[in-house]
Amino acid sequence: MTDATKREVNTLKSARFIPSKGLITVGSATVLLLVISAVLAPSSVSPTSLSGMLPIAAVLAVLGLGQMLVVQQGGIDLSVPGAMSLAIVIVTHQPDGDDSKLVPAIMLAVVFALIAGVANGLMIGGLRLNPIIATLGTNALLYGADLAISGGRPRITTDLLRSVTGGQTFGIPNAVFFALGALLLVTVLVKKTVAGRRFEAIGSSPDAARAIGLRVRLHQTSAYVWAQLLYCLAGVMIAGITAQPSAFEGDKFLLPSVAVVVLGGTSLLGGRGFPLATVIAAIFLQQLTQFVITLGVTTAVQTLVQAAALAVGVSLYTVDWRGIIAKFGDRSRTPQPTGAA
Amino acid sequence: MKPRTTIASLVAVASITMVLSGCGTAGVSNNAEETDGAVTQVEGAPSWCGTKEISFALLDGFGGNSWRLVTTASGKEEAEKCPSVTKFTYADGQGSTSKASSDIKSMVSSGVDAMVVFPDAGKAVLPALTAAYKAGVVTVPYRVDPGGEAGVNYDKWIGDDFANDGTNWGNWIKTNIPAGGNVLFLGGPAGNSQSTDEYDAMVKVLGDDYTFIGETPFQPTNWDPTLTQTLLTADIAKYDKIDVIVSDFGPTLVSSLPLFEKSGRSIPAVVASDGNSLSCFWEDNKDANPDFELMTVATGNDNVRLAVQYAIAKATGGTLPTEDTFKGPIFEDSVSGEPNGVQCDKDLPGDVYLSAEMDGEVQAELGK
Repeated sequence: MTDATKREVNTLKSARFIPSKGLITVGSATVLLLVISAVLAPSSVSPTSLSGMLPIAAVLAVLGLGQMLVVQQGGIDLSVPGAMSLAIVIVTHQPDGDDSKLVPAIMLAVVFALIAGVANGLMIGGLRLNPIIATLGTNALLYGADLAISGGRPRITTDLLRSVTGGQTFGIPNAVFFALGALLLVTVLVKKTVAGRRFEAIGSSPDAARAIGLRVRLHQTSAYVWAQLLYCLAGVMIAGITAQPSAFEGDKFLLPSVAVVVLGGTSLLGGRGFPLATVIAAIFLQQLTQFVITLGVTTAVQTLVQAAALAVGVSLYTVDWRGIIAKFGDRSRTPQPTGAA
Repeated sequence: MKPRTTIASLVAVASITMVLSGCGTAGVSNNAEETDGAVTQVEGAPSWCGTKEISFALLDGFGGNSWRLVTTASGKEEAEKCPSVTKFTYADGQGSTSKASSDIKSMVSSGVDAMVVFPDAGKAVLPALTAAYKAGVVTVPYRVDPGGEAGVNYDKWIGDDFANDGTNWGNWIKTNIPAGGNVLFLGGPAGNSQSTDEYDAMVKVLGDDYTFIGETPFQPTNWDPTLTQTLLTADIAKYDKIDVIVSDFGPTLVSSLPLFEKSGRSIPAVVASDGNSLSCFWEDNKDANPDFELMTVATGNDNVRLAVQYAIAKATGGTLPTEDTFKGPIFEDSVSGEPNGVQCDKDLPGDVYLSAEMDGEVQAELGK
């Protein structure tokens, strides 16, 4: 009973923008990383470096927001690579350098994203399939479409797309604005609408939500649809940022897309989502990459540092540090009885 | 889900088996006739085309970019010059070592007589190559070194003389930046033999006056545009003085080079492999960037042609080609204009390779 009251209080607080544990953790980690970067490798925080880092962080942020919605429903979406690569292929292959065909191509990509999202949603929300299996299957289907459309060959980005998603406005990479737009959209939808509040409630406890009459399946399906739309956006963005993308460009974004969600403090078991923390985690992860590259360490060390950062990040949320410290504290404080026994 | 998946996979397996057995019959019967190395040529066809009819396969480890598409089409075009090739099959490993290996095995069981393989995964696909060779299929890996030995694990490896590219790059740097300077080399995946050979050759030519900045032997980009951009961003921010950028997949540089201008510096000299997008980028940006010179070597799509010739000659009983490595020639040089000035064709897409034997217009139509 006491617990229930406590939880209610927490929810009310969150509505008044009390920063979450995830936001504090990842936010301070990012600030710390930027300080360390500035001290150890000053060029990694120079305007040049940031203008190269931010667009890719922005893409990762958009992907992370999509993945977060799915994770909030206790799911996981492994169709990120296929979804992203398909969007890249459509928006480069269909226009084939012709700016006038760009908008229809983007619409086509959105249609594919909707189909994939509904398919994922129906399989997982509707038929109760395991999300890992279902989204892996969808990923394979998306890659099938990718290869069927392109023959494995995306074309070069059109000039218009390059200037829109790869360009800069007021010295800030345009991709950043897209990511901010996505952040705003997701935050408002999840935190400020009735449907969004129900969405989070369902994520925390589908059974309880069902018992009070919420449409659990519909909300779970919608998570996958919105996620696909965000992956599609990320695909369009990266197609503009890199002039000549490959047909498998999405492959390397799968793990980071999950990593930023976890670093942002969203539980893999579902429940509350933390959009802002997820976006900051994307900046953290990309800046970390940029930092270790600038340090000039070998690729092996770069990979290790990134893995270590992830492990530390995840352990902050999942390991009960207070419990462990308390345990050790107890032991050190009461050695006598143990020894006597 | 489970029963459905099972049914779906059964159908898939059944259909694959049908396809494979369909083309298998011809191949197996062909295997029976041995030519014993006697050279018999088809009239009007190139000398490497013998009379024995064969089924031929071209296998890729990773087919997901325009370079591979052009290369595959070039391989097909070359095979079509020989009327004794009655069937041409292509398989793409899609970057997965296990798929690449199983592709090789299914080609063997489908009864192909000769196969040319791009062994992207290097030694990891050697067992599959060896199995194919032992099964009596003429097996010719090309470009990437799969390890092993000719005559034991495969018939012949038709490599690209990457050291030759490295030497050409080194010589150009020495001629055009004679006082020495900082060289930034962006290569492929960490440890790959191509970029390593290029580096060794460059070091030999350049000597001590030139410093390789960044990770040596090369910054590993995986030939991936996003990673190239990440790395190059870090390098531009870190090094105030970059005199020349070397890249063995030139077109991946295009999206990152504008960063120089954004940070108020001229794009430095670039020596790389060719690509229409890179050439046109040079054309558009050379005036604003006084230091931006461009030299390219042919990107080597035609390496596959030599491998195809070799495999077909061996399987059909034609004359074996005398060359056994492909030497990519110098293609463009913005300083000397020899053998060509920079070749930008704005009417063609950015991802065609004008150095290839295949016509640019034909390349542009591929994959449509």
